[in-house]
Amino acid sequence: MDNNDLLSRIIAEVISEMGGNVPASAVESAVKESISSASPAPAYSGSGGTDINITTDITSKESKATPTLENPADMDSLLRMKSKTPARIGVGRAGGRLKTQTLLTLRADHAAAKDAVFMDVDPALLEKMGLFSVTTLCTDKNQFLTRPDLGRRFSDEAIREIQSKCVKNADVQIYASDGLSSTAIKANLENILPAIMDGLKSKGISVGTPFFVKFGRVGAEDAISEALGCKVVCVLIGERPGLATAESMSAYIAYNATVGMPEARRTVVSNIHSGGIAAVEAGAYIADLIEKILKAKKSGVELQNG
Amino acid sequence: MKSILSVGIDIGTSTTQVIFSSLNVENTSGYFTVPKISIVGKEIIYKGGIHRTPLRTSTLIDGEAVRAIVADEFQKAGFRPGQTDTGAVIITGESARKENSEEVLRYLSDFAGEFVVSTAGPDIESVVAGKGSGAAAYSEENGVAVVNLDIGGGTTNAVIFDDGEVTGKGCLDVGGRLITVDASGKIDYISESAKKVAEYVGVELRAGNAARTEDLSRICDEYAAVLEQFLGLSEPTALLAALKTPGSSEFILHPKLRAVCFSGGVADFVYGTQQDPFRFGDIGVLLGQAIRRSRICTAFRMIGAAETIRATVVGAGTYTTSVSGSTIDYSDGLFPLKNIPVLRLDEKEQSACFAGDGAVLRDKLQWFLRQNDCRNAVIAMDGRSDPSYIAVQNLAKAIVDGADPILPSAEPIMVVLRHDMAKVLGRQIRALLADKRPVISVDSIIVQQNDYIDMGRPLMDGMVIPVVVKTLIFG
Repeated sequence: MDNNDLLSRIIAEVISEMGGNVPASAVESAVKESISSASPAPAYSGSGGTDINITTDITSKESKATPTLENPADMDSLLRMKSKTPARIGVGRAGGRLKTQTLLTLRADHAAAKDAVFMDVDPALLEKMGLFSVTTLCTDKNQFLTRPDLGRRFSDEAIREIQSKCVKNADVQIYASDGLSSTAIKANLENILPAIMDGLKSKGISVGTPFFVKFGRVGAEDAISEALGCKVVCVLIGERPGLATAESMSAYIAYNATVGMPEARRTVVSNIHSGGIAAVEAGAYIADLIEKILKAKKSGVELQNG
Repeated sequence: MKSILSVGIDIGTSTTQVIFSSLNVENTSGYFTVPKISIVGKEIIYKGGIHRTPLRTSTLIDGEAVRAIVADEFQKAGFRPGQTDTGAVIITGESARKENSEEVLRYLSDFAGEFVVSTAGPDIESVVAGKGSGAAAYSEENGVAVVNLDIGGGTTNAVIFDDGEVTGKGCLDVGGRLITVDASGKIDYISESAKKVAEYVGVELRAGNAARTEDLSRICDEYAAVLEQFLGLSEPTALLAALKTPGSSEFILHPKLRAVCFSGGVADFVYGTQQDPFRFGDIGVLLGQAIRRSRICTAFRMIGAAETIRATVVGAGTYTTSVSGSTIDYSDGLFPLKNIPVLRLDEKEQSACFAGDGAVLRDKLQWFLRQNDCRNAVIAMDGRSDPSYIAVQNLAKAIVDGADPILPSAEPIMVVLRHDMAKVLGRQIRALLADKRPVISVDSIIVQQNDYIDMGRPLMDGMVIPVVVKTLIFG
């Protein structure tokens, strides 16, 4: 008995168990017909090979905006829906699974997210921007990821370096830190930092010497605030990347920050990236926000509640 | 939450209406991001009566009587003249003649708050009615192309929305009061439009003769046929061209038109049943029934209107005002500003500015101010979605180089952008000018060349300003 005969018999049995009454011969001819009308040996891809014949950058904006769903009922509406969300809609499926392109794109985005976490910020960028670099108590990336407490603290030596290289007792101390995305620093820092600094200077607010903290968590700003005696501290830090973007940066701002203070005293501006708020515009906004914090002499929830 | 009180006044061929609405403004973004102030709710707080538009002759509005109607509605609604924050007076259909517009403006000027706009013209009415009827919202929510036909007394205003955006607008002299019938059942008035149709279908109409339902039905069926042609359902005839409203746009059809929505007084007879054809002393009922029989109602999905006869006034009162982006920059004490002409830079001109070259802007601005005989203009451009800081500095320099030598002293430099970058740009421009002249820089506003802009007093701790974009002004 070959496979076709076996298939026909199984189908006929199932139908009869369900209460139908179909002669086995009819099922057999239907099965044969459907098999012969199928294209020969589509062993891997059912869509004429377009699914796996990838020649473009599948992580590009253009590629992600193109639906891979075949024969949508309304292509225009689908395109419109896709234009409103970075979510993977209109991607179609292969049987019960993702299409090859969808799967590869997911893995590529995941790789970009992992890169953002594990890569270091290019020293050339820091040099170009004139930022010196200090490191927290973490000695490598693995320790940074597994010991958040060490990412908030500095050695005495590091504190001395910060104190010796920076202007002290400024109104505002701004610095950048890799956090969980070095990619975010690469994408935004050059545009946001001068926008904030120029904004504050034009308001007559004194700004300390900006620098860079490697292996830094948000809470490291409390130690820096204590070391430099600034009124307001602001860290520009890479956010934990997702599958939609690995470039998202946040600013955590605190008035009179001290080690061990409640997290609720931080004001945060998040979602700074090309698909969120543009870095330059965020910079202008943050300058205003810092001015407001200096006037109110409070930050975080206390500021929100007036 | 903060609310804006808005008034809508619609003076049409057959009816005059007033509504008041409250536009609720709120920060819709979370605690942890940059604020995003939007209009979150539009609530109609007072719907006035539907008054017959008072006329002195068959085409000339009685301004004094219009004023009395509006004054009465203000009183009934409990508002004083000048108490409104924004709104629009719309003079439409056959009423929108120049002499009428001027008359109405003269009589209504003290009711208009400091920020009420006055617009007219068939194109605007089409769009406003389509927003008031709910067609625009339906199109956006369902992602389809919808045509709204606002069938009033004198004209049918058509607009197509695709995903909420206007893709075509036009106007025909097709309406319910183009032939009127007096109480004794005799034909009272035959408009130019109706004369053309009567001649086309071979029906003899004469004022003073008894109105025969079958004759008037034939005329209305022909009107419906013209609307079918208008919507591309049949081959256009010479009559279609003859009935195009003078001054209206060429109607651009959408290739994937899916749904139709009706508003205006006649819409009630398209959607509902009305037994007595001459109850309102005109052909509105017959026209509605003829449209209901036509292919327009079978070829497209027919959607219900949120407002029918009030669509235009609701649109005028609630949809003309928008708010700017929430990160903007401006000098204090400049608002409100009214009727500022828009000078729009195209992509090439914008690129020159982003490269720091202000010469193109300078030439264009100089020419524009001379052409329009005005002291200042809003410089409008798309901007960029994620510009570098250097690009913003270049753009600021180009704008200052271009505008500062041209504008009269003390006039503000005003910039309107589409992309969210106005705060940083405004800051840069102000730094370059060193307070020599005031600056306004706002974003999230889309304007076209030859539009005009009104900007109201800042709201929500000064984070946003209300903006009205107009394509026409008079007065």
